[in-house]
Amino acid sequence: MSAAVREGRVRGWDPLVRLTHWGIAAVVLVNGLLDEGGSALHIWLGYGAFSLLALRLVWGLIGTEEARFSAFPPRPAAALGYAREMAKGENSEHRSHNPLGALMVYALWGTLIVVTGTGIAMAGSPLKTLEPRQEVAATFAEHDEAGENRGERDGEEGGVLKEVHEVAANLLLVLAALHVAGVAFETRRFGTGFVRGMVTGTRSDSL
Amino acid sequence: MQHGRRAFFGAGDRQPVVLAALLAVQAFAAVFFVSDVIADFSLGGAGLHTIFEAAVSFALVLGVIFGGLEMRRAMERARRSEAAFSAASGALGDLIQNYFHEWALTPAESEVALFALKGVDLGDIAEMRGSAPGTVRAQLAHIYAKAGVSGRAQLVSLFIEDLLAGPMPGLEGHARSSRERDRAG
Repeated sequence: MSAAVREGRVRGWDPLVRLTHWGIAAVVLVNGLLDEGGSALHIWLGYGAFSLLALRLVWGLIGTEEARFSAFPPRPAAALGYAREMAKGENSEHRSHNPLGALMVYALWGTLIVVTGTGIAMAGSPLKTLEPRQEVAATFAEHDEAGENRGERDGEEGGVLKEVHEVAANLLLVLAALHVAGVAFETRRFGTGFVRGMVTGTRSDSL
Repeated sequence: MQHGRRAFFGAGDRQPVVLAALLAVQAFAAVFFVSDVIADFSLGGAGLHTIFEAAVSFALVLGVIFGGLEMRRAMERARRSEAAFSAASGALGDLIQNYFHEWALTPAESEVALFALKGVDLGDIAEMRGSAPGTVRAQLAHIYAKAGVSGRAQLVSLFIEDLLAGPMPGLEGHARSSRERDRAG
């Protein structure tokens, strides 16, 4: 373990990073694997995840030093270098995300934007889901009756959105699995401090 | 010592967690209203109701941003005062060790003297060190004699005096940041 870690100078993540991370992780798990797509729960959780993502992105501009985008710019060359270090069993400490992890972060965020964006485009205003059930049901019934042309056009547009939403959601689950695998690998190299930084916010052993 | 430090900074650590949770709720409300405003605009254009809603949404978004900035400032303040505090306690520790060395205290006397500085009772010191109260009393007498002070109060004030006489950068920073905290709170 490096001197920085031993002396407790490497900090864990701040509360906002932890909150948004675990909140989004929970939504991805529930919406991706457990609940039914298009259900009220699915839509509300999706809005929640989008809110947390938006908050995290704002925090990337105005947040703590390690949380800002400037602390982990996307640098593919550096990421390759870090991957080589990992293969050779060397390690270098990074205050924020390591270069390879940073790329994963941007990939996850990009995919999340696509998933939540298409989801919101399909679900519409969140207030719609608050309307009494009959009205929603009535709207759907209207759709069914109101001529096949309109229905088909809506269906086609909805079909594309749905397709993109599902493909991106599956990609998101694959990325999340890779992310967990990456963390597991780094934990074997560095110890549990790596994970503790995201759970309790303290990463060093001395505190 | 470790325990005292935890208690001292505990409140500072909890505050950002609460702030972060509040920000998350605010962000959710902002997304909720912004998307409703967008839906309203695309459906019915700009009515008075929609314009008012847009203004509220804008205020909510600004609230999130300023709340975030305030949270970062609070965390930076906490980090600074933590760093200043550890610098100050480190400096005090060095000062104490220097004096003990100068007075040529034995290792046992150094331990007793440190307990005395921390305000531990004679009886408790004896119990912790597993020695008789009489032994500790004798050791304390030696310590006071070597330091040239009349008793425990004077021993403690020696260090206080030194700390107050020379402005230490760490202590100075700590004092300033606690004043800032007072003003802010």
